[in-house]
Amino acid sequence: MAAAAAQGGRTGGGGGSSGAGGGPSCGTGSGRSGLLDKWKIDDKPVKIDKWDGSAVKNSLDDSAKKVLLEKYKYVENFGLIDGRLTICTISCFFAIVALIWDYMHPFPESKPVLALCVISYFVMMGILTIYTSYKEKSIFLVAHRKDPTGMDPDDIWQLSSSLKRFDDKYTLKLTFISGRTKQQREAEFTKSIAKFFDHSGTLVMDAYEPEISRLHDSLATERKIK
Amino acid sequence: MLSLDFLDDVRRMNKRQLYYQVLNFGMIVSSALMIWKGLMVITGSESPIVVVLSGSMEPAFHRGDLLFLTNRVEDPIRVGEIVVFRIEGREIPIVHRVLKIHEKQNGHIKFLTKGDNNAVDDRGLYKQGQHWLEKKDVVGRARGFVPYIGIVTILMNDYPKFKVRSCPTCFIKNVIFCYIWESTDYS
Repeated sequence: MAAAAAQGGRTGGGGGSSGAGGGPSCGTGSGRSGLLDKWKIDDKPVKIDKWDGSAVKNSLDDSAKKVLLEKYKYVENFGLIDGRLTICTISCFFAIVALIWDYMHPFPESKPVLALCVISYFVMMGILTIYTSYKEKSIFLVAHRKDPTGMDPDDIWQLSSSLKRFDDKYTLKLTFISGRTKQQREAEFTKSIAKFFDHSGTLVMDAYEPEISRLHDSLATERKIK
Repeated sequence: MLSLDFLDDVRRMNKRQLYYQVLNFGMIVSSALMIWKGLMVITGSESPIVVVLSGSMEPAFHRGDLLFLTNRVEDPIRVGEIVVFRIEGREIPIVHRVLKIHEKQNGHIKFLTKGDNNAVDDRGLYKQGQHWLEKKDVVGRARGFVPYIGIVTILMNDYPKFKVRSCPTCFIKNVIFCYIWESTDYS
């Protein structure tokens, strides 16, 4: 049974789109989610401008995420991302407060409030920079594997990647942190992006997905041996 | 449903990524805004950077020069200094030199200005019945300048198609365009 996810419209299996064959949704959703189905295009093969470095990296990252989440059924943890979003939201909030206050009380009276907002804004920018450099460190996925027995804490899988500007070597690093022993193991591979995209810029999941599975299994088997 | 390819990227994003894109844009705007407000606080002037719009101060300043202003309370205005002032009821600030000053014991001053390249003083420009300017009309005193950079603002002012209201908005828009152009490789 092609595990059709509750969101409707995912032709499951293999964690990736099966090329152009991925047709319209299975229609498991009700009428309310019908529009949402048509909007989401998780099935469509990923086609990007192959010369645009950031688009390439983003599509590779997203596909790696999809493999881990769909094939191995891990649960995504949004903690890191939420942290970054909160810091940005607070910064924008300070900016908006400054804008409105200055509009309501014209300049000379609003000086202290403005000074406070400006300083807070730049302090938040500093915090954001520290956060992204040291805490986030190019990690784009944190996934939990729920322990089937329910007793031990979750194992954590982290994915991080890097692709230098104008370079074609893409490095993907998978980190496994065992819930029980708190040990950390990593595996990574560096390959040219030309191996995963065809000449029109479509990501070929059949070439990409085995790589990720290989990384994952190499870390998983070590665990079993130990 | 329309199949617009460029929307594909957006459709593939989940809620968090969409929100992050919105925030990203907001942060760029906020950064420009905060830099502008920060300059306002540091210099004490409500418009710390202005563009010279007319040729009335040649050969010192030409059209399109960018001026940096400060408006500190402790610096007294003296004859011969270049001030930027706003006439009541008019929006556009004027850059001219101080000609005469009357000063009272308590520090209250009245002063008269004239553009270097003008034949007569500015009494013709002042409000009906007003013969002197006061400190409250002053936006700031010129402290430094960069030549030619403000030509973009003048073009936008001259051609109503690209009309933007005043110099601060132009500044922010210029900065925004620079940021967007620079940050095309977001990660």
